[in-house]
Amino acid sequence: MFDSLKNRIKTVQEKLSINIQAAALTSPPSLDEGKGKQGKIRLTEKVRTLVRDRELILSEKDIAEPLAELELVLLENDVAFPTTEAIISTLRGELTGKRRRIGSSIDTLVVESLRSALRGVLGSGFDITTYLRTHEKPVKILFTGVNGTGKTTSIAKIAYFLRNKGFSVVIASGDTYRAGAQEQLSTLAQRVETKVIQHQPGADPTAVIFDAVQYANAHHTDVVLADTAGRFHNRANLMNQLEKIKRVIKPDLIIYVDEAVAGNDAVIRAEEFNRLVGTDAIMLTKADMDMKGGAAISIAHTIGKPIAFLGTGQAYEDLKPFSPDVLVGEILGEA
Amino acid sequence: MVSKVDGTDSREVQALQAYLNEYGQQAEVLSRQLDFMERQRMESMAAIDALKALATEKQSVILVPIGGGTTIRAQIIDPDNVLVNIGADVVIKRKNTEAIGFLEDRIKELEALEKKVADSLDQVRGQINEIAKRIDQEYRKAQAG
Repeated sequence: MFDSLKNRIKTVQEKLSINIQAAALTSPPSLDEGKGKQGKIRLTEKVRTLVRDRELILSEKDIAEPLAELELVLLENDVAFPTTEAIISTLRGELTGKRRRIGSSIDTLVVESLRSALRGVLGSGFDITTYLRTHEKPVKILFTGVNGTGKTTSIAKIAYFLRNKGFSVVIASGDTYRAGAQEQLSTLAQRVETKVIQHQPGADPTAVIFDAVQYANAHHTDVVLADTAGRFHNRANLMNQLEKIKRVIKPDLIIYVDEAVAGNDAVIRAEEFNRLVGTDAIMLTKADMDMKGGAAISIAHTIGKPIAFLGTGQAYEDLKPFSPDVLVGEILGEA
Repeated sequence: MVSKVDGTDSREVQALQAYLNEYGQQAEVLSRQLDFMERQRMESMAAIDALKALATEKQSVILVPIGGGTTIRAQIIDPDNVLVNIGADVVIKRKNTEAIGFLEDRIKELEALEKKVADSLDQVRGQINEIAKRIDQEYRKAQAG
């Protein structure tokens, strides 16, 4: 996952360390260092000490080159421009202008500053199990997104995940439009041993989801996972259909599903879906195939909604609840 | 998913057929991804050829397609500076040689990704073959019985 980004961030990380080390070696001693009765002796001693024992104030110029490189690296890996700017600005703020003791490791300083900058744009994530435990049942979750991003498979994975966490689940087969969608969902639901509510192909998806909610009420089911047909945000009639579902069903959560490999396109589409029908959380599929990580890094920052899950493979268990700390660790090569 | 196939009762040909369809859909998605990446890679290679050729030919005239099957003759006024979409819809000006370097890196990345997707596709196809064989066996058994 995110191999291209990881490798290139590592290079920038090394360059930042080299630049900071060079700045530490060439910077004038801090005011405190020259004080004392034997100022000259102390100064000489200080110069002889290792860089790690020094205090210094880094200027923007000291790190301008690696930061410019990092900016390009992020953009080339499809991190959205405003998100890239936010990361660079935080990193610059973390590293420059402050009097700091380098301490035992310049590398640690760089890694921690990068971690803080990346962490700043990723948001807090979304813990769905806590949400479910603290909300009135059944919790109705509506899935939206464009065609072919893996929405239906993701719903089966989430059903599998939630059942393993002890929640009872019913799936509403609200994609009554795509040929084979209902068969696909009933097969997947059977595999993960989950009840699925279906109508005839072409039926009103609102009615299907409504029936699933009725079923959940009658059977004290914890969660309703409502599938919908994939649609592009510029198709007004289909977006109106989503609006109708939302009006009638009043979902507790709307999860927008897109593929991580779509990069910046996924970010733009998520923004449009959020604007038109609202979004509470995001799931990114095919993250295991994503070399760049642009969508995963930018999407939460751009639309201001948390990522709930990452799809990481073909099997039902290949679903990771999103953790910003784990993702940052992955990007920094710690995982 | 694979282990469940192994554990399926041999009479459940229908269930095997459903698995076959599911894997078939997965294979289709992966094939589409592979085709898309292949096209991107070919485009980048064509762009490299064009940039190299333009760098050696000053004041070249090229045909620019403007839609509807029509093209227009245009003169390249600055072949040494290229505008490159580096990602995230950000376009920057690069020297011809830098743009070629960027495209070569992109090709390398695509090759690595294509390999990954192709490996996944092979795995899925392996499963498809295995299930198809199982279905075939079940039919043979039913016919013999």
